[in-house]
Amino acid sequence: MHEAAIAKSILEIVGQRLQSLGTAASAQSVEVLFGEFRNVDAESVSFAFDNMKALFPGCLNCQLSINTIHASARCKDSEHLYRPQAENAYRCPSCGSGIGKLFQGEELDVVNVIVEVDTPLKEKRQHARVGRRARA
Amino acid sequence: MHESADEHALERILGKNEEMADHNREHFRRLKACTFNIMSAPGAGKTSLLETTFRLGKGKFTSCVIEGDMVGNLDADRIRKVGIPVHQISTGRSCHLDAQMIARLLHVEEMEKAEAIFIENVGNLVCPAEFPLGEHRRIVLLSVTEGDDKPIKYPVIFRNCDLVIFTKCDLLEHVDFNISEATKHIEAINPNVKTMQVSAKTGYGVEKWIAWLVSEIAGYQQHLKHEKHVHHTAH
Repeated sequence: MHEAAIAKSILEIVGQRLQSLGTAASAQSVEVLFGEFRNVDAESVSFAFDNMKALFPGCLNCQLSINTIHASARCKDSEHLYRPQAENAYRCPSCGSGIGKLFQGEELDVVNVIVEVDTPLKEKRQHARVGRRARA
Repeated sequence: MHESADEHALERILGKNEEMADHNREHFRRLKACTFNIMSAPGAGKTSLLETTFRLGKGKFTSCVIEGDMVGNLDADRIRKVGIPVHQISTGRSCHLDAQMIARLLHVEEMEKAEAIFIENVGNLVCPAEFPLGEHRRIVLLSVTEGDDKPIKYPVIFRNCDLVIFTKCDLLEHVDFNISEATKHIEAINPNVKTMQVSAKTGYGVEKWIAWLVSEIAGYQQHLKHEKHVHHTAH
């Protein structure tokens, strides 16, 4: 049941993003990609995420959005592009050979975090940017 | 007043484990120890194969074992009985070893004397596949009592390994397991994989497996020597 470990890792990544912005920030949502060729059950991760998020400061209202990425491969013998699936034993439907190169389907990434920041913090960040520009 | 902001954050979810695995790998490199992560379903014969390996391969290389189990130290006791230093990791509720658990053992004395470190993962064909530990080679055991369709059901672990060993081959005549079919399934997922057949009970195929280990350990040592030579030449 490593889905709990995955949910925890997602929350830690969100927590780090929030920390870099300051204590007044909170997360609204986090978007993740799960490839078909990873051993991850989306429903279990969602369940674990919802049960753990209260433990991570600023994450209580964070919604998890999971996108599944289909596997895509070039077959070994004829270089056909196909989607390897258990139904055809991961073989190419045209020539019957196996996976030569897997292009996608092994993703396990956080791709986007939407955060809410209060205005004073935003102003503070703008000041910081102005400061950097001034030095440049 | 609040405002929303998009934080584009392409980050690997298990990136921390991967970083820790890299750290472990570097540590093993400094120890000059070739490390094998042995994975399988529960009861496929990981401990039995290690016991036989140490008995029949005595004197060929120095070893140390890390035993991963959810509870108990039964497997560690078995390895200790054949005279090999062993360290037990009890994972508790966790169904796999992770790189952090291995990192805690990096400085134990026996580890520093071993040419080969065997990590026997928790018996599970799902979760261990997702957590690299810093190993040099990943080995999956598939016993002939499990069924030759297992690679189709658990593709990830068979895709991410260097060697698949069919175990309990002394039972082949009593079961419907088709080695040729299983090999085809594995090769369809992982075109670069090697396969082997053994029986830890009768010793069948164990010599070949030990020869593979000796070759891997020698190849690794050679790689380190070459690396050192290149480093000196560069300076």
